[in-house]
Amino acid sequence: MQESSFRRGSIAGLPAGSGSALPAIILVGLFFIVPVVALLLRSVTDPEPGLQNYAALFGSDTYVRVFLNTFLVASVVTAVTILVAFPVAWMLAIMPPAMGSIVFGIIILSMWTNLLTRTYAWMVLLQRTGVINRALMGLGIIHEPLPLINNLAGVTIGMVYIMLPFMILPLVGTLRAIDPMTLRAAALCGASPFDAFRRVLLPLSLPGIAAGGLMVFVMSLGYFVTPALLGGTSNMMLAEMIAQTVQSLLNWGLGSAAAFVLLVVTMALYAIQLRLVGARRAGGGL
Amino acid sequence: MKLILTGILAGLLAATAAKADEMAFTSWGGTTQEAQTKSWAAPFEASSGIKVLQDGPTDYGKLKAMVDAKNVTWDVVDVEMDFAIKAAKDGLLEPIDYAVVPKADLDPRFSNEHAVGSFYYSFVLAWNKGAVPGEPSGWADMFDTKKFPGKRTFYKWSAPGVIEIALLADGVPADKLYPLDLDRAFKKLDTIKSDIVWWGGGAESQQLIASGEAAFGQLWNGRVFALQQDGTDVGVSWNQNLTAADVLVVPKGAKNKDSAMKFLAAATSPTGQAKFAEASGYAPINTKAKAEMPADAVKALPDAHVDGQINLDMNYWAEHRDEIATRWYAWQTK
Repeated sequence: MQESSFRRGSIAGLPAGSGSALPAIILVGLFFIVPVVALLLRSVTDPEPGLQNYAALFGSDTYVRVFLNTFLVASVVTAVTILVAFPVAWMLAIMPPAMGSIVFGIIILSMWTNLLTRTYAWMVLLQRTGVINRALMGLGIIHEPLPLINNLAGVTIGMVYIMLPFMILPLVGTLRAIDPMTLRAAALCGASPFDAFRRVLLPLSLPGIAAGGLMVFVMSLGYFVTPALLGGTSNMMLAEMIAQTVQSLLNWGLGSAAAFVLLVVTMALYAIQLRLVGARRAGGGL
Repeated sequence: MKLILTGILAGLLAATAAKADEMAFTSWGGTTQEAQTKSWAAPFEASSGIKVLQDGPTDYGKLKAMVDAKNVTWDVVDVEMDFAIKAAKDGLLEPIDYAVVPKADLDPRFSNEHAVGSFYYSFVLAWNKGAVPGEPSGWADMFDTKKFPGKRTFYKWSAPGVIEIALLADGVPADKLYPLDLDRAFKKLDTIKSDIVWWGGGAESQQLIASGEAAFGQLWNGRVFALQQDGTDVGVSWNQNLTAADVLVVPKGAKNKDSAMKFLAAATSPTGQAKFAEASGYAPINTKAKAEMPADAVKALPDAHVDGQINLDMNYWAEHRDEIATRWYAWQTK
């Protein structure tokens, strides 16, 4: 716990400088807390007071399936993102700073491009008549187009691409903070490169993986555009389902209940993760 | 900076103020709303002096929220007809003032107490000529994967159309479609489920067909019309084309109701309807409009294919909207 170090010079028990956080607190209060409370109220009052929306939600095979699918997609995306991001982050951490900042620039630049544009670009690449399938067929590697779109593969590819910066950035920070001497020490003690990775680098980078992983997972849970365009209907995610329920069926009560359950589950996961990472961090000596 | 602030302020004022010489029109964006702006709003502004602010896209959730909150910023909204019937039942709409909107020449299929027709369209069978061997001749061919292999595309959302197509393909006579036999429809759809690519919006349907990603599909006739205008090699079958309509409604508590009614009169007039139909390929709901259109534009309309045309039953859908949607998404996400 780092709390104590913040307490220096505090006024009335608040950390120094909390006054300047006031605008942010008001903003979050007005535009997050108030709507969330309104959402909760709506889910137990619309169309009449009671828990019927929650009963309908958990009693519906469709919603339960979409819920499970949402978590499946978010898990797969998070796992693949970690696997892809780690080598990039490691490279960035050990690169000469000048070159590193160029690579960094490229990664950040992709975040500035419009999300819809990037998703449509993936459609053009991934479809049966798309660039990838045509090239592979032209080269004679495959004879039938690979099913890369309108399924879990399409959603995963599209979302991993979008999530990568959110994983790489925290990971680079953690990796840079690791003293390279620890790896040399491991080698000197006779550890193979794989052992050094598994028993030294990986445990030390866990806080970064956890922070990035959580961010990617939580963002993936609420994703809308990419799964809608690159996934099939059997990969429908909750955000899309809620949008349909509210916009087309005008069932605000049920939509609010679904949104609220998603929020609660996300918060619970966050709490669990914080505990685990907190414990590991202590064990890792950071 | 000051200029930007003034601009934003002016925008906010324009959006909230209920001035007598302004009103807000909301539609679906894209080429449809462009045509509506050009054919209806611009001439109306010139003749009445009432400024028409464009907003969009139409969002039923937003419409309901506005009415519930008694803060309605939309005066005229373009919606699907089955929604309009349900919304009227739920008390979300103002009645149409037919003392201001002349009713005599309006197609009675698409206008009622709370809604006046905007345009009507047909679902047609369209295909990419390069991707399909031969010519599909009717809905049954969309379910024949042996004769017509390849992906087929259908409208993604629970709405009038796909259920009816499945039943027609399964041999249900057109006059026996309603009440819809959902079990039979889903059973029929199951036979091609893995070959279906869904389209969620008009542009997507065009992209799928034009690229050959889907060999053929159920499309809005106006979108096929636009593809053909662009020179894409698409075939179209009007056999058993299914009509549905968009209607114009005034949300309950709209601030500029009087201007809204005047706008509706202009939009549904023979001239307004003729101009819009010519620009969009969608059909006019005013029976006198075609007389004002060029002959070749008339030929592209669903009106030229009334033989075997089937009217999707909007009242049935309004009645069973939620029930069908529940079944639809349960089936689709399985």
